[in-house]
Formats: sequence, structure tokens, C-alpha cells
Amino acid sequence: MKHQQFETWILLDTELNQEQQRNLQVHLNQCAQCNSLYRATQQIAHLFRTSPVPEPAPDFSYRWIARMDRVENRKNRLILGATLGGISLATILVLSSVGIQLRSTLVYFPQMMLEMVTLITKWIIFLNQLWDIFTPLFRVSIKLVSPVWLYSVGLSLSGITAAWMVAFFRSRTLQKELLP
Amino acid sequence: MSITEEQWIAEAKNGDKDAFAKLVEKYQKPVYSVCYRMLGTPTAAEDAAQETFIRAYQALDRYDPTRSFATWLLSIASNYSIDQLRKMKVTILSMDNEKHAWLAPPANEPSPEKAALEKEKQAQIQSLLADLPEIDRAAVILQYWHNSSYEEIAETLNLSSSAVKSRLFRARRLMAEKWQQMQLVSVPQVNSTAKRIAHETSTI
Repeated sequence: MKHQQFETWILLDTELNQEQQRNLQVHLNQCAQCNSLYRATQQIAHLFRTSPVPEPAPDFSYRWIARMDRVENRKNRLILGATLGGISLATILVLSSVGIQLRSTLVYFPQMMLEMVTLITKWIIFLNQLWDIFTPLFRVSIKLVSPVWLYSVGLSLSGITAAWMVAFFRSRTLQKELLP
Repeated sequence: MSITEEQWIAEAKNGDKDAFAKLVEKYQKPVYSVCYRMLGTPTAAEDAAQETFIRAYQALDRYDPTRSFATWLLSIASNYSIDQLRKMKVTILSMDNEKHAWLAPPANEPSPEKAALEKEKQAQIQSLLADLPEIDRAAVILQYWHNSSYEEIAETLNLSSSAVKSRLFRARRLMAEKWQQMQLVSVPQVNSTAKRIAHETSTI
């Protein structure tokens, strides 16, 4: 039998039958190299198997729970951070896109504001002029026309307005009744 | 797998951390042992074992109940430790490195003489393991300290059985060579332990 075969048996810790064991023993007595290898593997196996099993410090599982809590908290913070970051990014994107859309409007904004102010000013001037025209006219007409006439015209206008409103509401009521 | 264990797994899958803590309690020793033998220091082993259980808890939905839970856990522990070794490029121990003298695992307060002997043994073990490639080291640890078969080691390390045999063959050769060198080294402490073990094995 070849030397290689014995070496394989030794190094693979193969289970041998009686004949193989006998052959190995004979070879070990003849071959110093295999003998040394065999003894070394046996001594190593003995060293390993007789050494105490290392054990963790007490309360390992409590430390695990504490560590797991930290991991979960970190994960939750990451999720929260990612969500807030996402919302912020989305807001920035929306505002940017709205800004781009309004860009042309924003460019002309000062001009628009100027035109609006000019228009309002013109209206104020116009109303002021109307006021200037009608105020003296009103004052003169009060002095020219007697108060009786003024009251009569006022009452007539109020009566006409009231009559018109009554007619209007009655026509609406009739309309509702006639139409299905 | 016991019914209780199945129940704990089912409860843990539903987010019950306390149920998983019971599994942690049950499997802490084998997981810690693998991590300790792989990484060589109690601090690194504690960290790796804790991380193993965290990863297992987070991946519990992917656990196949037809597989052994212990094998699954040891698989996570071995692979995590292999990754750590590759990342850190840790050289675990050397025989003459006194700063690792605290490496002996916490035993039940043995006598000073026995403690010194155990420390020496641990240093020798870590020295033998330190020279092995990471995966070979994991295979050796699973075989010697967890009595795993070739098939179980293959399943744990995601290798074929023939690859496991080949790795163990190579690892044993490397360790035997290292052991022979250690016996030749003129360090009285090393020689004394080696001689004592040689004597013990010759009497077996």
C-alpha cells in the first residue's frame, strides 16, 4: 500500500476496519514521517477535545435584548429621517417646479404691480373729480328745490322700489307653483 | 427540534423579542464558542455572538424549519466571524504574545496552577487555529467542538462535502506541522504542555 493512502487515513481521521488498522499500525512502525504526523494529529485532537468550552459572561440574553432595542431604535430613527428627508426633497421639487412655472410671471411682477398702482390712482382721481362735480350740484339743488319736493320725490322712489320688489317676489312664487 | 422551541420561533416570527431571548439563552454557548474560537478574544466573540443573534432575529422569516435551528445559527455565526476576520485581518494569537494572556475563557475559578495550564492550552489552541484560512478554521471548529459531521459542516458553511473533506485534510496537515514546530521550539512552557499532552495521548 502506498504512503499517500496512510497519510489520507491519518489526516481525514477515517474510520478504519480491523485490517486497515493493522496495516496502518505496521506502516506507522516503519515510517517515521507518518508516525510523527499520526502522533501530532492525535495530540491536537486531544488538546481540542479536552479544552473547556468558552462561555459568554452572565446575562448574555439581557445584553442581547438591550442591543436589539438599540438596533431597532436606530432603525426607526433612520426610517423617520428617510421619511422626513423624502418629504423635504418632494417639497423642494414641487416648489422648484412651481417656481419654474411662475418664473415668467415673477419676471414681470414689478411691472404688473406698477400698472396696478397706476390704475388705482387713476380711479381715485376719477372718483375725486366726480365728487368735486356732484357735491356743489347737490348743495345747489337742495337750496333751489323746496324740502317738500325732495321728500315727495324720495317717498315716490321708495314706493316704486317697494312695489317692484313685491311684484318680483310674487312672480317668483308663481313661477315655482306653475312649473313642475 | 422540541415543540417549545418551535413555539418560541413562531412567537419570535411575530415580533416577540422575549420569545427569541429564550432561544438566545438556549444557544448562547455554542454560538459564543464558535465566535470565540474563530476570533480569539472574548470581546470580539461577545460582539460577534450578539450580532449573530440580531441577524438571526431579523432573518427569522427566511429560516427553513426543516433545517436544524442550531445549524442555521452556527452558519450565521461562522459566516459573520469569517467576514470579521477578513475585514479586520486579525492575527489572533502568537505563542509569545503576552498581551493575549487573558484569553482563557471564563471558567469556574480554577486553582492558579490549573488556570495557568488552561491559559497555556487556550494559547496553544488559538495559535494552531490562527494560521488556518478562515473557512478551514470554521470547519475545524465545527468538527472538533461541535462534533458536526462533514454534511453538517457543508450545510453550515455552504460548501460541498468533498470541499469540506479537502479543507479539513489541509487544515489538519497545517496544524500537525505547526504542532511539530511548537514541540521543537525551545520555550519551556510550550514544551511542557506538548510533552504532557503527548504523555496523556500515549496513555489513551
